[in-house]
Amino acid sequence: MITLNHYLMLGGVLFVIGLFGALAKKNAIAVLMGIELMLNAVNINLAAFNRFLNPDKVVGLVFAIFVIVVAAVEVAVGLAIVINLYRQRLNTSVDEADWLKW
Amino acid sequence: MAWAALAVNWLLRPKRPQVGDQRETYECGLKTQGPTWVQFRIGYFLYALIFLLFDVETIFLYPWAVKFQVLGLFAFIEMLIFIGILILGLWYAWKEGGLEWL
Amino acid sequence: MPVWELLSVELLTAFLGLGLLVLGLLVPKGQKRGLGYLAALGLVGIAALAFALREAQGVVWEGYIIDPFGTYFKLLFLFAAILTCVSSFEYIGRLGNGEGEYYALIILSTLGMMILASAGELITLYLGLELMTISFCILATYRRGDMKSAEAGIKYIILGALSSAILLYGLSLLYGSTGSTLIKDISLVVNSGGVTPLMVVGMIFLLGGFAFKMAAVPFHMWAPDVYEGAPTPVTAFLSVASKAAAFAAFLRVFFVALGDSHPLWAEVIVALTILSVVVGNLVAIPQKNIKRLLAYSSISQAGYLLLGIVAFSTLGVGAILYHSMLYVFANMGAFMVATVFYNADKSDEIQDYAGLARRSPLLAAVMLFSLLSLAGIPPLAGFVSKFYLFMAVIDQGYIWLAILAVLMSMVSVYYYLQVVKVMYLGDPPPGRPAIEVPLGVQIALACSLAVLFLFGIYPTPLTNYAFSSAAAFFH
Repeated sequence: MITLNHYLMLGGVLFVIGLFGALAKKNAIAVLMGIELMLNAVNINLAAFNRFLNPDKVVGLVFAIFVIVVAAVEVAVGLAIVINLYRQRLNTSVDEADWLKW
Repeated sequence: MAWAALAVNWLLRPKRPQVGDQRETYECGLKTQGPTWVQFRIGYFLYALIFLLFDVETIFLYPWAVKFQVLGLFAFIEMLIFIGILILGLWYAWKEGGLEWL
Repeated sequence: MPVWELLSVELLTAFLGLGLLVLGLLVPKGQKRGLGYLAALGLVGIAALAFALREAQGVVWEGYIIDPFGTYFKLLFLFAAILTCVSSFEYIGRLGNGEGEYYALIILSTLGMMILASAGELITLYLGLELMTISFCILATYRRGDMKSAEAGIKYIILGALSSAILLYGLSLLYGSTGSTLIKDISLVVNSGGVTPLMVVGMIFLLGGFAFKMAAVPFHMWAPDVYEGAPTPVTAFLSVASKAAAFAAFLRVFFVALGDSHPLWAEVIVALTILSVVVGNLVAIPQKNIKRLLAYSSISQAGYLLLGIVAFSTLGVGAILYHSMLYVFANMGAFMVATVFYNADKSDEIQDYAGLARRSPLLAAVMLFSLLSLAGIPPLAGFVSKFYLFMAVIDQGYIWLAILAVLMSMVSVYYYLQVVKVMYLGDPPPGRPAIEVPLGVQIALACSLAVLFLFGIYPTPLTNYAFSSAAAFFH
């Protein structure tokens, strides 16, 4: 029997993996991927809460849909900014290992 | 049990070095042409970005389409406004040359 | 009151933003200067409308609350946006790319802040927050071909997305532990004593996310880098408006929804306050770049504003409202001077401000009084607002906290006066002409100076407005 706790644990584990990816990776694309994982962990949480707490209302699912859309927008803008940075560091040929250091 | 079965398998299986094209990327039975790890043109990225946004935004159309009869005229007008804003975005991309093949 | 009228401010803002985007497509390149004037005029009109509707109270639906508290913040955002637009004409015109989009993005981020200030529901709150953050990410990278700007953009998008993800996880746990996303329903569950461990975890995540948007220590790391790299008008807008928006949303979520669990999170806020005030002020001392200096000063201002949250009273909320409004004018004044100076000299270094008083008395005077107001020197308005914040915490028995904040205020006088010293006592570099200030910016500078003096000497109208809004918030 799979209960709410199982879903929450899955969500929590996914969130931590994403957080680790976002903090430990050096490549900006990989960092964005980590953040996507965190958002998907949230989606799992929302869907599970909706299913187990009050299945009649769909608030959690609607929330998840909005999160998906916002995540897509965030990634689109993020990738555009990464490409902007990449172009400049190549053109100006600054030390290439520097371009993702913070 | 599962881990034990895997371990036994690993111990007992014959270990043959992979030779020839066994390690090649599989592509319809033919040998691949050139390196598969190449940089894509930036033009693809713009298309992908625009596609991604429109693809994800349509997520809002599905719930509305399913409940179209119930939601009535108000939701229909709201959806028209939403689609109008999306079309505005498409127009913007078009006008700024996002859809041209460089 | 009909829904249209309640929502008119937001609707007009959205319409103005999208309209500017369309106009930007229709107007041929090279003739886009007019879009900026149009944006500023439109915002002035919307601000007038918001002022006329300041007493409006009503519920559009359960998740979107129009009340004097929200409208106060909307006015604040609009003032900040107007000043930003006015100071951008010259700066953005020189960049030569995407003028139409620039103003559209400023207005859309203002819209996001308005939604944030009125949200009575978690999904709405999240959407407002993201609309604001993503618009700012694009604005921060606006100086194409400038490495600092590109780096500022990437830092802001990655850290911003990370913090929203953390905040969102908190929101999902809050939804899970109360079964609703409506702030009203959540507060009912919390009032009936239903604080679960899950909710406490959610609260911690929420605090982290909000503290990031406020740029409170230890979640401030992004602020100096992003502030330095972003175009100066954008930095100004980011430092005043997005901070105020984060405070508005924080007050709604933590005072209304989680108000009864106040003892659980009060200590954390005290820690954030102490850290922000101390670190912000001390690290500002060695700064050489005016934008970095103002960034650290804005971190310390976040600490002062947090005092009002520590107080957890009507007086505290009123003091936050009052201080954040004056902070808009003081900070925008300082940043407008920095923008004009950058347009003339292409530099943000404090040492290059030498002799500014002789090259442009107006700029130097505005910088002087803005900084003094930020430091809280009478008779400027910053003194009165800080006084209210300190009173609010003393009222609740945190005398030591008030003493610490006053001490750190004195430290801030030191680094603000260093800038003043350079401007007034330094010699201008030879061969540098006097700086010409465009007429629009002159008017904006004069307005913010007038506000600082007016509400320093005669604060009653604004305090009455702020405190009545705060009282309405607690109803």
